[in-house]
Amino acid sequence: MIEVKEVEKKFGRKKILRGVSFTAKKGEITCLIGINGVGKTTILNAIMALTPVQKGEILLDGEPIKEKTFEKISFIPDALTMLPNMTIEKAMEFMNDFYTCWNMERARELLGFFRLHKDDRIASLSKGNTAKVNLLLGLALDVDYILMDEPFSGIDMFSREEIANVFTSHLIENRGVIITTHEVSDIEHLIDKVVLLDDGVVTKEFDAEKAREDDGMSVIDVMREVYQG
Amino acid sequence: MKNYLKLVNFEFNRVVKLFTILLGITLVVQMAGVIVQSREYLGRANEKMNEDLMSKAQFLTDYGQISFAHIVRSVWFLGPIALCAAGVAFYIFLVWYRDWVGKNTFIYRLLMLPTTRLNIFFAKISNILIMTLGLVAFQLILLPFEALVLKWMVPDDFRNDMGVKETITSIPELTIIIPNSFVEFVLYYGAGLLAVAILFTAILMERSFKWKGIIAGVLYSAMAILVLISPVLLQELVLNGFFYPMELFVIEIVMGIIVLAVSIWMSGFLLKKKVTV
Repeated sequence: MIEVKEVEKKFGRKKILRGVSFTAKKGEITCLIGINGVGKTTILNAIMALTPVQKGEILLDGEPIKEKTFEKISFIPDALTMLPNMTIEKAMEFMNDFYTCWNMERARELLGFFRLHKDDRIASLSKGNTAKVNLLLGLALDVDYILMDEPFSGIDMFSREEIANVFTSHLIENRGVIITTHEVSDIEHLIDKVVLLDDGVVTKEFDAEKAREDDGMSVIDVMREVYQG
Repeated sequence: MKNYLKLVNFEFNRVVKLFTILLGITLVVQMAGVIVQSREYLGRANEKMNEDLMSKAQFLTDYGQISFAHIVRSVWFLGPIALCAAGVAFYIFLVWYRDWVGKNTFIYRLLMLPTTRLNIFFAKISNILIMTLGLVAFQLILLPFEALVLKWMVPDDFRNDMGVKETITSIPELTIIIPNSFVEFVLYYGAGLLAVAILFTAILMERSFKWKGIIAGVLYSAMAILVLISPVLLQELVLNGFFYPMELFVIEIVMGIIVLAVSIWMSGFLLKKKVTV
């Protein structure tokens, strides 16, 4: 389980996160939702120790994040994390060199899944294909948890559909996923848990399935209720 | 250790193009320098002897023989060395910022590798050392060949043959990059390594605290220099030559090791706890 406990983060004088707490379990898809600048990406960066926090604690299976943790958790950021002059194959080899949890078989499967060509240079890829390479590099790691930052951001409808298919595939089966997205509609029916953020705090945390079944409300309905009163 | 070596190999592959270009420029320009300067000298000799009817002995008295040191002092020779030094200096800055700046932020990947983040620091600094030593080694290999080209081009009577070592020692600037002894090598290259480590720490401060980090980096660099020169300052200004030269030398070495250790520790701390993508 990923535990985010009372995390506070400031950029200069501006407080981005003001005591954010939530948990994300293995086998569940947890969606962080909030308007731009609310701190969704900062939370993911903080979980991966890519940005320091001023207060609070982040635990993964009860332990603080350390280098070996990166064999248990994978982060798929909005920006591409490989060198532009690399081919997709070289990027896969790089991952294979450094991660013992890299699954080359799965990486090849993902190449086919996303219809990518291993000899394509990363710099030459479209926005949609760049997002797919990012997903490939993150999903081909045999990890327990996956963090995804805006995987649908700025990409065309068909690429979005392909990426959304990941969530119904075996590729994320039994893994804990934390996803930040504006495009909730693409994966709304797949989300297990929702964490709504506003002004650096968690305004509501709820079980999406329960909201659907007990209250007859979709995630978007709850969002409207919270953000628009 | 394995991850460190993999990172060094990876970093070297990233800079191999720049490295090859620098080697190529050095080879072409220095060889061209040997040819051009030899031809210039022979041209002058021909002009004086054939057109001004000067005797060979008179020419040699007036203009002297050409030696390899004469070529080494020229811009043809020192220019590529300066260019390589500038290239390495530029790379020292580039080596961190290229991972942060731009569309593809590779620093995400580097910081998420399942290895201690200090390996990133060590890999980058090792790569700079490898690059520098590689350039110097190439220069050392090149020197005898250049001397040979000079021999082929200029007749014996007009040439003052000097050995490579003799040539290097005749030019003080050259002894910095090609030291005369192992102790000098350790000192010069140790000082270079230390300077790079201090600079890396300052860069990581900037990457961690942005504009406040620039101030912290400048202050840290100034402090490090002050600590390094403090034994000499004390010796000269307070202690009136209390230490023997060898004692002062050992103290300087200890100070250097302390500053290096602090820089490595500080960089490790920043990479682990403070740096932000």
